[in-house]
Amino acid sequence: MIISEKIISNISVLTPEGSLDAATVPQLKNFTAKSEVTPTLVLNLSGVDFLDSSGLGAIVGMARNKRESGGDVVLACMNDKVRKVFEITQVARLFHIFDDLEAAAGYAEKQQKSL
Amino acid sequence: MKTIIVIREKDYRWVRHVFPDIHPLLLPICNKPYIEFLIDFSVLSGSREIRLASDGPLGEVEAYCENGSRWGVQTSYASIQGTDDLEVVLEKNRHFCSDGRSLVINGMVFINYDQKQEYKTVFASLPAGELLSCSGGSLMLTGVPENSGSISRSCPFSISSIDSVSLYYNLSIDILNDASTPYVLPGYNNEELCHIGRNVIIGKSAEIRKPVVIGDNVQIQGGAVVGPGAVIGSNVIIDRESSVIRSVVLAHTYIGEQLEVEDKIAAGNMLIEPESGASLAIEDPHLLTGIKKSGATVPFLRYLLHTLVALTIVVFQLIPFLLLFPVLKLQGKWKQRMQECFADMSGKTLKLSETAIETGGPISTIAAFLSLDRFFLLFRVLAGQLAVIGSRPVPATSENRDLLNRMPGYRAGVFSYAEAEDWPVEADDMAIVERFYAAQGKPLRDITLTMKALFNRIHDKSLP
Amino acid sequence: MNFRIDTTADPNVGVVTLSGRIDAGNSNELQNSFMSWVLETSLFVFDCTNLDFIDSSGLGAIVSCLRKALERKGDLKLAGLGSKVAMVFELTKAKKLFSIFPDAGSAVRSFENSEP
Repeated sequence: MIISEKIISNISVLTPEGSLDAATVPQLKNFTAKSEVTPTLVLNLSGVDFLDSSGLGAIVGMARNKRESGGDVVLACMNDKVRKVFEITQVARLFHIFDDLEAAAGYAEKQQKSL
Repeated sequence: MKTIIVIREKDYRWVRHVFPDIHPLLLPICNKPYIEFLIDFSVLSGSREIRLASDGPLGEVEAYCENGSRWGVQTSYASIQGTDDLEVVLEKNRHFCSDGRSLVINGMVFINYDQKQEYKTVFASLPAGELLSCSGGSLMLTGVPENSGSISRSCPFSISSIDSVSLYYNLSIDILNDASTPYVLPGYNNEELCHIGRNVIIGKSAEIRKPVVIGDNVQIQGGAVVGPGAVIGSNVIIDRESSVIRSVVLAHTYIGEQLEVEDKIAAGNMLIEPESGASLAIEDPHLLTGIKKSGATVPFLRYLLHTLVALTIVVFQLIPFLLLFPVLKLQGKWKQRMQECFADMSGKTLKLSETAIETGGPISTIAAFLSLDRFFLLFRVLAGQLAVIGSRPVPATSENRDLLNRMPGYRAGVFSYAEAEDWPVEADDMAIVERFYAAQGKPLRDITLTMKALFNRIHDKSLP
Repeated sequence: MNFRIDTTADPNVGVVTLSGRIDAGNSNELQNSFMSWVLETSLFVFDCTNLDFIDSSGLGAIVSCLRKALERKGDLKLAGLGSKVAMVFELTKAKKLFSIFPDAGSAVRSFENSEP
């Protein structure tokens, strides 16, 4: 899995590509642990074509860590298949989900400022 | 033009309360699901794409509407939070709303339109902003009008809220009585004020009095009187000499002999007085009952596999169980209590024994190591009552009945899917894993997951 | 449930208080008790204020009580039907067979007015 990072509206945007499953979850965890990401970050899921239960676990865990320190994880651009997984497991209730990357970053920036 | 329908759980709480089995967007109004009225109006307004945004579950609606090709539109779905205001909702759907105009239908509102009218040009000349509002929600337009030359402010349609069972009933009866048929209703419509579905059997000397709307697969037995003013859902039986007048009978309902349903809503075994909102669960199956939806037979392959897995575990556990159980019982460490739990989504209940083995001492450790606490439950799998792996059994209480609606694919299991995963740290996480696997329904994978759960429990128990 | 008849309000009118449930479990008992009551009087009031539940066999029992009272030129009136019990009476058309009063007192008085 390739994970890239960029900054939009002063917010780190992580873009993992490929499938997010038991095999690739450690990669994502390492990446967020190492890199200097902003307290609130955007996870751009446009490149994720497959997500299993451990992938969900990684995203939920990441959000829990961020929230403990007052930040958050905002999700953006998930494809239909991934959205269905979020919907059926009701993980969607736990996140702010945007269909547009800029809108997500803008929202995340506002959240971060209000801290 | 696009349409975005924003509906929150708080908008439809009353529907969940009165009709727990029906998704509020699929609530039939004169046998036509509520969402279809919204889709029809969107199509008349010239929309080719419709997005549904909700903080509640949309799975059932998605299964019903699919991609929208039935209406010649493209439907998509989005999740929002219950606390999001409309501005945030539109931000979350910025990509969808970005090109051109969007009609925003906000809340559980009913749009009073006329299918014979043409709304495309009307919408093209309406200004952006709120068009109409009522207590239940509003109608809004975004984007610049196409013919900016001739901006008009008048809407040739109105909205009303559907926020109680009495408003729902009145709306149904009003639509039923409207001879101008402003909406397309399901069924054959050879004459005014009469819609009849497929495979409707009307017995000798039964009377149908207009206005009526009757669904598919309906039996009206001899001497029965239906109408004036009756909405009969699909798969309904109205037995001999009963009458249904100014009433709504929802799908899958049996109305017994010689009864009189007047100014009521009947749904399964529930009888509701719309005026007061009082509802009564009829426990007598000779009067009113729900008709079981067929087709939900337990897939045989899954039963077979689960039985095999359970048998294998029983064989492995048998000798250790026979050796350790009497000792633990004597030590008073084998704690067992009975609990009434939900078996599956239908709300059927089971009495299950829940065993806890008190820790301390090598014998307890070995027993826990081998998951002997589940030994008795495994036999329930052989009886077809439990899954070998599924959800943690939910205690059967009335509050938990609501919870069940949020757990699609729920089946009580000896082991829980959550036990097969390493990551869940709290109860909510476990629920996520359970829903994930329950929704997939792959029997073969259940075998590996059961083994994983057994292994994980060993790992768990070996910690001091 | 033990069914008891009370004639303190009016010696000619038997007031029977129904409470809890009337179902297959006790409807026979009600009918049997009624058989002995009709030997003494033919005017009855069933006070349903505390009745929470009734099923078709309970309804059947009450209707057969009414029939026996009518056979002896008497009547059986109902009082204090709760909304749920009233819905069952309405649904089964049993409501049309009975005179229904808001409370037992008014039901008893209605007999006084009609007595010769």
